Amino acid sequence: MEPANPRPAAPESPEVAGRPPALRLSGLLKVFGAHTAVDHVDLVVPQGSFFGLVGPNGAGKTTSLSMAVGLLRPDAGVARVFGVDVWSDPAGAKALLGVLPDGLSMPERLTGRELLTYLGQLRGIEAGVLAGRVQELLDVLELGAAERTLVVDYSTGMRKKIGLATALLHGPRLLVLDEPFEAVDPVSAAALKAILTGFVAGGGSVVLSSHVMPLVEQLCDTVAVMAGGRVVAAGPLAEVRGDTTLEQTFVRLVGGDAHTRKGLSWLAS
Amino acid sequence: MTGGRAAWMLVGAVLGLLFAAATIWLSLVELPTDVLGDLLAGVFGMWTLGWLIGPLWSGAAVLRADHFTLLPVPRRRLAVGLLGAAFVGITTAVTALGFVGLITYGARQGLVPAVLAAPVAALQLVFVVLLSRVVHALFGAVAASRAGAAITGVLFAAMLVLTQSGWMIVVAVMYSDVLTTGFSHATTVTLRAVPSSWGVVAVDAAGRGDWPLALAAPAGLAVLCVLLLLVWSVELGSPRRARVTIRGSAHRAPVRGGPFAGTTGAVVRKELRTWWRDPLRTTTAVVPIVWALGTVLLPLTFDARVLLPWAGPALALFAITSAGNLYSQDGTALWQTLTTGTQRADVRGRQWAYLIVFGPPAVALSIAFGWWSGLTWTWPWVAAAVPALLGGGAGLIVHASVFGLVPGPDAHKRPSNPLERADTTGQSNVLFWVGLLPAAPALALVWLGARVDQPWLSWAGVPVGVLTGVAVAWALGAGAIRKLTEDGPDLLHTMRTGRPPVVRRVDGSGVAARGGPVEGLSWGLGSVLLIPQGIIPLVFILSDIHVRSWFLAMYVWPVLGVPIAVLGILAGIALYARAVRTRVDRRAGRAGGPASAGDRELESV
Repeated sequence: MEPANPRPAAPESPEVAGRPPALRLSGLLKVFGAHTAVDHVDLVVPQGSFFGLVGPNGAGKTTSLSMAVGLLRPDAGVARVFGVDVWSDPAGAKALLGVLPDGLSMPERLTGRELLTYLGQLRGIEAGVLAGRVQELLDVLELGAAERTLVVDYSTGMRKKIGLATALLHGPRLLVLDEPFEAVDPVSAAALKAILTGFVAGGGSVVLSSHVMPLVEQLCDTVAVMAGGRVVAAGPLAEVRGDTTLEQTFVRLVGGDAHTRKGLSWLAS
Repeated sequence: MTGGRAAWMLVGAVLGLLFAAATIWLSLVELPTDVLGDLLAGVFGMWTLGWLIGPLWSGAAVLRADHFTLLPVPRRRLAVGLLGAAFVGITTAVTALGFVGLITYGARQGLVPAVLAAPVAALQLVFVVLLSRVVHALFGAVAASRAGAAITGVLFAAMLVLTQSGWMIVVAVMYSDVLTTGFSHATTVTLRAVPSSWGVVAVDAAGRGDWPLALAAPAGLAVLCVLLLLVWSVELGSPRRARVTIRGSAHRAPVRGGPFAGTTGAVVRKELRTWWRDPLRTTTAVVPIVWALGTVLLPLTFDARVLLPWAGPALALFAITSAGNLYSQDGTALWQTLTTGTQRADVRGRQWAYLIVFGPPAVALSIAFGWWSGLTWTWPWVAAAVPALLGGGAGLIVHASVFGLVPGPDAHKRPSNPLERADTTGQSNVLFWVGLLPAAPALALVWLGARVDQPWLSWAGVPVGVLTGVAVAWALGAGAIRKLTEDGPDLLHTMRTGRPPVVRRVDGSGVAARGGPVEGLSWGLGSVLLIPQGIIPLVFILSDIHVRSWFLAMYVWPVLGVPIAVLGILAGIALYARAVRTRVDRRAGRAGGPASAGDRELESV
């Protein structure tokens, strides 16, 4: 496939002022049977950036992010978080990471508060600090009212919010969020956006995947477009979208060409 | 339909036909009519019980009312329609055949009772089917609750006990004088008051010329059927009931000190909450307790107390087979263990929680039932076996859960039904036997002490049992921790994608898991050959016990008894081996073949 945009997928200047990037994926490869889900993906997320990963269904976003955070073993390639290799030093890398995967279970038979307390204890957060953080997260995400509801009985939006709370609990430096806004109501979405933009303003870095272009356009300063397991464009938002909207760019990059190709890889998955 | 389920269906159909044949045969046996009537009433009671338990056991999705919620059909008509659908099936045909026994029973008493028996038998069939549907609907409403999950566990274990040890009841009946003198008057009256017996009551009354009763009994059945139909049509429209009530812990601060303070303590607390709140776990916890109770109490039917002291060890042993797939029960929640890097705490916490759940009842049952039995010689045996089995179990369950993980429905996709779970038949069979091993050293010592008549040597088995338990729990737990640390992401991937039975392939077609029926039949037949046709008759022959029941080896010439029992054992082991091989082959096929579990992509790519 010829990328519609010939710009190199991985920018050549990853290290800003000598600092390692928040996340660097080099040559990540994942093959499922005959299908290459992620085909040598290179991505660099600079520190302090709000990074949007967009792409159609089956583009390989979830697979890439799973490999980036150590939840799926890559067939080849390296993932580094602030220079720490996720696969050779998992403990070091994962302390810096907050993760929100899509569609996975949690300890389902706990209430939201119990879940956060449990994870805080696993992370070794001191009891007094933990109680305060848990309360604050429940308040901000408006989950305090569901004190008697088990996570298994949460709605999809509530699951997203409690998942985000677990990702934020230990004060990570990089958040990797898979579809964080899916099925979240507008009020909660506004709260989420405020949290995330505040996090970035405070020096944190965020990577999120989404189908929703206006949302990515509104929040992110850097974007990458994936299609067919490859990164077809990446860079600062303004550069990638040019004079048009991100949506138009996206359709131009993955739409027209992709639909005429024989065998849609994601429909076969 | 999975291969395993198909195999069970085949086995069920064959057993059902045998039972139907036995019912007809019973109605023709030369016995006093009133005794026969009581026995037949009991057998029809068992048919009814089967109809009540069957749907719960299989967890099969029958045609449900919510499939039709959008259609403009009145509720009552929908109820009648669904009832019609409920009649279509092997089970109904087999039951109808069994109920022919009522007609043959009537024929013994004359033409008129036989003629009356035909419509009554049909009515009886309608009754059991309707009762089954209504109970299933009501049960579906309560199964989500803790009590419902516990009831599921009780029924599940009762079925297991009956299939494994039901022969004890047959022995009890054969060796009592019931066949000549009949049941006591109170038993007869009670038995015949149950609606499932009203068919027999009607036929008997017709035989005596007691026409009011002969007509009243079927009329009563008909009224019951109408009532059940009404209840059912009301139940069809009722909303879902709430689940387990949770008090929450809003006002409880995180634990600061004490034994539950660290990461392992946090996992223990999470696990205990899960054991208490997850219907699947409740069932997992109840099954071993009821299995142990059922197995040791059944011999009381022929007044044998010899099994009573073993209730505790039996519980500790069966808990292993029941809880041997813990990680799969929690599904992809494993990702949080991986991202927090707390594999060690997770494994150890699960082991402690297992001991806290199963330890106290095992010890309590051992003490209570040992005391009740009055068999003092068993104390050192039980005291040596229980800690070894509990500790060994704590090791085996985490080891098996990690190394032999069988993916099932993910934790957040099975909110309330404890019957939705991975098929672990094979694993449970292996764990049952392997679970005995940790107790072997301690029991060998107890045996030696008894043999040379040195009580101190026997009692030395207790510390050995404790040590073995601790060692096995520690070592197998360490293995599980290592595996989880090294291959955690791969296990997560298996649970994320490897949901049998349908494998989504790259070309979009679905493939059912292979090898299921062969494996299922091998486990089932292997168990039958190994235990009731092998070990038990061998023990009976060697101990000179003359109980025939359905033990083939007891019916042949005495010289052939031992060889046949040994042959049964060998054949059973061979079938077990075959089942294991099938499973291993399937695993290998999955790992290397083109349609393997690992080839499936993540769900939300």
